[in-house]
Amino acid sequence: MQSFTKISLLAIGISLAAGANAASDKLNIYTWAESIDPVLIEKFQTETGINITLDSYTSNEDLLAKLKSGSSDYDVVFPSQHFVKIMVQEGLLKNIDAKNMAAFKLVDEQWKNMWWDQKSEYSIPFVYGTAGYTVNRDKYKGPANSWKEFFEPTGAAIGNIAVFSTPDEIIPAAQLYLGVEFCTEDSAQMKRIFELLKKQKKDVAVYSSDNISSRIASGEVVMHNWWDGDSMRTRKNNNAPIEYAQPKEGLVGWLDSMVVPINSRNVDNAKTFINWMSETDNATIEYNYYAHSSAVKIDQSKALHQAENSPEIFPSAPIKFTQACSPAAQKLVDKVWTQLLQ
Amino acid sequence: MKKLSLNFWGLLPAYLVMSLLMVLPLLIIFYVSFMSSDPYGGYKAVFSLDSYTQILYSYDWDENLVLNLQYLKIIARTLLLSAATAIICLLISFPVAYYISRQSHTMKTLLLYLVTLPFWVSMVVRVYAWVLILSNDGVLENGLRFFGLIGDIDSLLYNNGAMMVGMVYTYIPLMILPIYASIEKLDSRLIEAASDLYSSRMNTLRRIILPLCKPGIVAGFVLVFVPSLGTVLEPMLLGGGKTMMLGNLIQNQFGVARNWSFGASLTVLLLCIVLIFLMFQARRTNLNKEFS
Repeated sequence: MQSFTKISLLAIGISLAAGANAASDKLNIYTWAESIDPVLIEKFQTETGINITLDSYTSNEDLLAKLKSGSSDYDVVFPSQHFVKIMVQEGLLKNIDAKNMAAFKLVDEQWKNMWWDQKSEYSIPFVYGTAGYTVNRDKYKGPANSWKEFFEPTGAAIGNIAVFSTPDEIIPAAQLYLGVEFCTEDSAQMKRIFELLKKQKKDVAVYSSDNISSRIASGEVVMHNWWDGDSMRTRKNNNAPIEYAQPKEGLVGWLDSMVVPINSRNVDNAKTFINWMSETDNATIEYNYYAHSSAVKIDQSKALHQAENSPEIFPSAPIKFTQACSPAAQKLVDKVWTQLLQ
Repeated sequence: MKKLSLNFWGLLPAYLVMSLLMVLPLLIIFYVSFMSSDPYGGYKAVFSLDSYTQILYSYDWDENLVLNLQYLKIIARTLLLSAATAIICLLISFPVAYYISRQSHTMKTLLLYLVTLPFWVSMVVRVYAWVLILSNDGVLENGLRFFGLIGDIDSLLYNNGAMMVGMVYTYIPLMILPIYASIEKLDSRLIEAASDLYSSRMNTLRRIILPLCKPGIVAGFVLVFVPSLGTVLEPMLLGGGKTMMLGNLIQNQFGVARNWSFGASLTVLLLCIVLIFLMFQARRTNLNKEFS
């Protein structure tokens, strides 16, 4: 009996070791939809022998919910600044000693030691950009230099607006328009936001953050909430008749960082990936593909997107970065959104 | 005794699968629904009935607790749309099932195969197919315009009609199959006898065929109505995400709204609705058996 127990323990031990071994050449990445150049994934796999599994999301809220459930198995994820702050607070991220990683030396000085990770322990800043809206110029000839056109549509835009399916960036946009502070805890101010969105709803065709490019490029809707680089990519690659608006009240800024979830089982691979993606050659390939501004150094001589041909990522409108709201402010955001979509 | 233990051991894998994959998750949901919610998702292990009171009462913009019917409205809409889906499915399915049952053996096999064919494709893909069909300059609009049937029209997508089309399409095989099964068993001599006795066609349908097919109709209704209650995809992709059904509300609580306890309490509520419906159904079936 005893020898039987020993043998089975041994068998379990061997299979566990084998499992650990098999896990060591794996890397599970959870990132924004269509954000990483497939060429880079291939290149990384051949150069390092690490196999990547790629999943994607379209909102920070989805990412937080996945990590919070505790059952996710991801090694690298890409939250925006305010969600990095929340995830650190909630103990969802691993301290990877970011400031001593090779990647950190390549990060642009202006993005080091920011408020969401003041000691640069958890995150390597990767890309940044804005959230605004895009108009289809075949269908809509009116002006696009204020949030007014989006929230109080006229002409061809009536009934043909598409809005993000989560409140994370649309409520800050509404706050910019009405001149309300981000993350306000003032219920009366948030009621104004609610009333604005409620009034806009009758002209909203769809609330969605998926498949935006086909919807706006085909003219299924004439205005769509969108991100700068994605809009530019569709304009350049598909020759789509679209324009990224430059609202004078401001664009909603975001910066996505590379971080490692607390229950990652391939931390070394995750760090290898983060360092590798930040190398100037790879960051430049990624910049040319993803079309969002890079937070790490790129090779300007090979960069496709320059100020003169890329108004989307070199905006004339001011940019205001979203913040991590207090629970009280977050509750008001949730209240606006639930009442809006009831 | 020996037989009993064989029964027990033989069914053990089934018991295990059921308790691990069904009973345990339900118990977890039940437990979470009585806990307080954590502002950033998850729950705190502190007993609270908030998630249940929230179904009826909520704080207004001036922080007063008031009766709030928004969630009841979503529940009512869910029940109504599910019932409508089941009824439309029934109206379409009955003639289809009847037609299939009157075909030759090979033809029957082929037609039944075609009815079940969509199940081989992922549901998300099937719903997206409807997005392509109904979208601006999509297959349907262009087709109708080609035949000169329509001029310039508003989008067919992102409204309640599109959502219903999607739901009916998704669930209709679940209605056709049980109705077909009961029509198959129908004794055709009864129909001949009815016509021998000068019953009109309508009368035969109403007094002979329909009562005999009732078990199939009821089974089909349950099979369509119950999963419709949990619909998530169609309101999101075809309805434009503007009006919620209970499934979307629950999904939102676990995602965007980060209120897991409330999501769990809504899930318990949905389960109760389904159970009440099924119990009512089972009682009626038993009564019918006693009478006959």
